[in-house]
Amino acid sequence: MSSPPLPGPRTFSRRTLLAVSAAGLAAAAAGCTSSPPEDERNAVTSEQADELAAQVAVQETLVRAYELALEADPALAAATPELADQAREQLDRLQAAAPGSTPEATPPPDLPPPGQGQAWLRAQVAVAATSHATAALAQTGGRAALLGSVAAGLRGHEARLA
Amino acid sequence: MADDGTTSLADENTALDEALAAEHAAVWGYGVVGAALPPGERAAAAAAEAVHRDLRDRLIALLAERGAEPALPEAGYALPFPVLSPVDAASLAATVEEGGVAAWLRVLDRAAERSSRALAMEVLGAAEVRAVGWRTAAGQTPVTRALPGL
Repeated sequence: MSSPPLPGPRTFSRRTLLAVSAAGLAAAAAGCTSSPPEDERNAVTSEQADELAAQVAVQETLVRAYELALEADPALAAATPELADQAREQLDRLQAAAPGSTPEATPPPDLPPPGQGQAWLRAQVAVAATSHATAALAQTGGRAALLGSVAAGLRGHEARLA
Repeated sequence: MADDGTTSLADENTALDEALAAEHAAVWGYGVVGAALPPGERAAAAAAEAVHRDLRDRLIALLAERGAEPALPEAGYALPFPVLSPVDAASLAATVEEGGVAAWLRVLDRAAERSSRALAMEVLGAAEVRAVGWRTAAGQTPVTRALPGL
């Protein structure tokens, strides 16, 4: 008898380790509907919609922080070319999950201090990650999963910038 | 009725049980990872294995408390690729963490209780940080993910 696979990402849907349907989560996060239980989980209250729109604004602020930090520190930009793109990808997904939202992003509270752009950026990332993680607790279904994924991704950015 | 007023605990328990299955596999997987690393480089693997053992035990207790039947570990697992070097070990560890992230994201998707979402959030960030470390050790690029688990 063969052993069950220890799955990697491509085998998550097969057995033991990962029964996750990434496509299903993605669809839910984008506001699509399917079976009744999932419909219930993805039903959104006006308060939840407002909170999700606020997280779009948080992410817009972070994307701007990336722009400022990388403009100020070309070496940092060269060393971490993927991070800003990933932050923008996260923003795109949040905007798709909150269609019609008109968030008012605030600029980062200050400019990166000369020679300290990496530490400054890491602090901005930490603020956004904590905000998304906290917001995920008040959401349900695909919106909670999306915010959780974005928050986890930003924790990875923090580690990369350490 | 769950505390979000919309869904029962059945879906949540299923997702938690799937996360438990992922934790069983992670504990096993880190045993392989540790064995493939030089003795002086095993500390991170040992620490990660301890985290997964703790999560496994917390999930077993939680599911038992709810009257659900916790998943048992498989009798054996098949590796997704041969683990013959420290680089292979790091790749396996990254794979294990990515699997855990996906499973816990499913918990977030299906959770009815805020406390379960809080547990999932507690797990997710730390798992992705570990994954970044292992991807770095494995020489993978990029080492970060925009949307881990999705």
